Amino acid sequence: MGEIVIFGGDSHPELVKMICDNLAIHSSKVQMGKFSNGETSVSVGESVREKDVYVIQSGCGHVNDTFMELLILISACKTASASRVTAVMPYFCYSRQPDIPYTNKGAPLISRSNEERPEESDNSTSTGLTTRKPGAESPFEESESSIRSDSGESEDSKQSSSFSSAPNSNDIKKSVSFSRIPVIPDGKEAGSTKADAGELFNAQNAGYKLWVAQAGTLIANLLTTAGADHVITMDLHDPQFQGFFDISVDNLYCKPLAQKHIQFGIPNYKEAVIVSPDAGGAKRATSIADSLKLSFALIHKERRSQLLKGPPGATLSSGGTFSTNPKPLVSHLHSEEMHHSNSASKYVQTTMLVGDVRNKVCIIVDDLVDTSYTITRAAKLLKDQGAAKVYALITHGIFSGDALSRIRQSAIDKLIVSNTVPQHETVAYLGKDKVDVMDVSRIFAEAIRRVHNGESISMLFEHGW
Amino acid sequence: MSSEVEEMSANSIKLLAGNSHPELAESISKRLGIPLSKVGVYQYSNKETSVTIGESIRDEDVYIIQTGTGQQEINDFLMELLIMIHACKVASVRRVTAVIPNFPYARQDKKDKSRAPITAKLVANLLQTAGCDHVITMDLHASQIQGFFRIPVDNLYAEPSILNYIRTKTDLNNAILVSPDAGGAKRVAALADKLDLYFALIHKERQKANEVSRMVLVGDVRGKSCLLIDDMADTCGTLVKATNTLMDHGAKEVISIVSHGIFSGDAKEKIKNSRLSRIVSTNTVPVDLDSNIYDQIDISPTLAEAIRRLHNGESVSYLFTHAPV
Repeated sequence: MGEIVIFGGDSHPELVKMICDNLAIHSSKVQMGKFSNGETSVSVGESVREKDVYVIQSGCGHVNDTFMELLILISACKTASASRVTAVMPYFCYSRQPDIPYTNKGAPLISRSNEERPEESDNSTSTGLTTRKPGAESPFEESESSIRSDSGESEDSKQSSSFSSAPNSNDIKKSVSFSRIPVIPDGKEAGSTKADAGELFNAQNAGYKLWVAQAGTLIANLLTTAGADHVITMDLHDPQFQGFFDISVDNLYCKPLAQKHIQFGIPNYKEAVIVSPDAGGAKRATSIADSLKLSFALIHKERRSQLLKGPPGATLSSGGTFSTNPKPLVSHLHSEEMHHSNSASKYVQTTMLVGDVRNKVCIIVDDLVDTSYTITRAAKLLKDQGAAKVYALITHGIFSGDALSRIRQSAIDKLIVSNTVPQHETVAYLGKDKVDVMDVSRIFAEAIRRVHNGESISMLFEHGW
Repeated sequence: MSSEVEEMSANSIKLLAGNSHPELAESISKRLGIPLSKVGVYQYSNKETSVTIGESIRDEDVYIIQTGTGQQEINDFLMELLIMIHACKVASVRRVTAVIPNFPYARQDKKDKSRAPITAKLVANLLQTAGCDHVITMDLHASQIQGFFRIPVDNLYAEPSILNYIRTKTDLNNAILVSPDAGGAKRVAALADKLDLYFALIHKERQKANEVSRMVLVGDVRGKSCLLIDDMADTCGTLVKATNTLMDHGAKEVISIVSHGIFSGDAKEKIKNSRLSRIVSTNTVPVDLDSNIYDQIDISPTLAEAIRRLHNGESVSYLFTHAPV
């Protein structure tokens, strides 16, 4: 294998720099840009013939642009006779696709950027993070921080209509720089449902179940097609994702790093409780809890027909081994009735906490936070149940839309997040003492070094670096 | 009753459209008398693309209309297309055809300097990886791009429609066709033959991409109305300089006719301040220009007819020489 060459994409230059510093080499020259018609241009500034090339690009920012950049760069290296090209994607885009949030009529919450918001804030052209400006508080923020399902399913129009009637001044920056693509808002506004969207989602009656295309396999295949020989990533949302690839994939874990941050960053961590904000993340959370010998709690959200509902807590009586507490284990924090226009059945959404958190320090563990609804809701539930302090430990902090302002107003006392995605906005917005950034560059640097030298990397899974 | 049974049994045609050019999709659908299928193509707040297919497309013959356009969104539209193709494949369609009137990255088609990416080839590979079975496109910048694919590509020509336009909307008595560069000479010569007109050629010395330096006119344009023909107008630097060259050589007026009117950057401004008396393009991409200088040729009949013929297994070559009315 030839010499090592590292190229950094545009998405996360700091991480590229740090990885290179750890490896004590310089990243090679590459120029990314756009032609005037919007097409991505890439020009590789150094010879890569018979070299071992690593391309570092995180799936953040304007995802489709950064991903195309990565594909073009990989294929440019391949056509320039690189002996091996490894795609290093600290955050793997499209690894999780949530459902589209619906209104109670079954139509998706879609906003057509231009039409709805004639007046735009000064940085409407920025394509970066679309967050609220610091200091600009929205009057209706408090009222809705209570519970909101991640997928927005429980969101109904009565609440949303109060939003749209509220003075929608320029304190809310929206992703509006894209004129033709309808945007799925992060559950914030409604009432902007397009007519055809409404029609589309009424198709549910015709015996056809709507589904959202899962792009995972496609993304894997596109990388392979572009010429990637190897992929290095971290904390894939689904471990099965590795199987989508026909090439070798090294899925690194943030867990060793996270454990260290718990041990050294959280005072009295031995008394803390690890909390999974949803059932899907339970496995991830328990593995941290097990290795640190901490107790564990789970937040579970469910929707069920009211008719089928037994007395509170009845369905969970079997899990009562936790109980030493006079408080009921199952806490119905919030119930919201949903009336479906096409059926008479009523659904009740319940959020419940399984486990005891009273007067304890809680650490919510999740792999990915995007809109932050799940995690802020979890934090509120924990505080309501008497948690002393709530930490949130996250691998990939995307924080799109108004996520950051939601986190600032939430019950989360401290955010611990890795830098697989740039976090300076987060730090600037929430303040240094509220955010702790875990540096993953050492893990990635070591993985690159070991892959280049043909050494085993499994030691990194256990011990981190 | 019997017709209903036939409809049920024959595998029918479905038209899907992305967000890039809803007007074109609409007019193709009208032309074919087939409504656009319900699809939801959205963007999450984290800027990932989401595709929802709103009706069953199992075992259907699917056509996805998506063009390459947008200074901010071109990669978004490409990903939309790829995800839609993939979604259709996963949904067990019989065949997916991508209808891409303006092929994105068509100009990144050669390794013109060391380690330059051949992105057109990459896009071809990506489309095939996504599961595309057939491609319909129009006036490829280089027809050799067809060779980048392992699947059939129908490269349609806007030429018949442009011929119709020239015959009906311009005064042919005093006209001369002009090619703004040597590369387009063949295209213009073919048009000149069919219209029985003279043609002139501008030779340019290019130093950098999108930048044009000196221009030399070959041919006499004095007192003539010049029809400046090109395959695409992007930043319009060439176009404006060519217009100036022609006017400086005593042309009466200059009308520019292009297939793909991309008009990026400050093209709008340049056209407004230029000495062009008219600029014409097809609607392969959405164009936002002032209607007192801009005129559009609708090529949706050609695309619609190509889709119809492809679906019925008829020859498409008729469309290379004739524009459906």
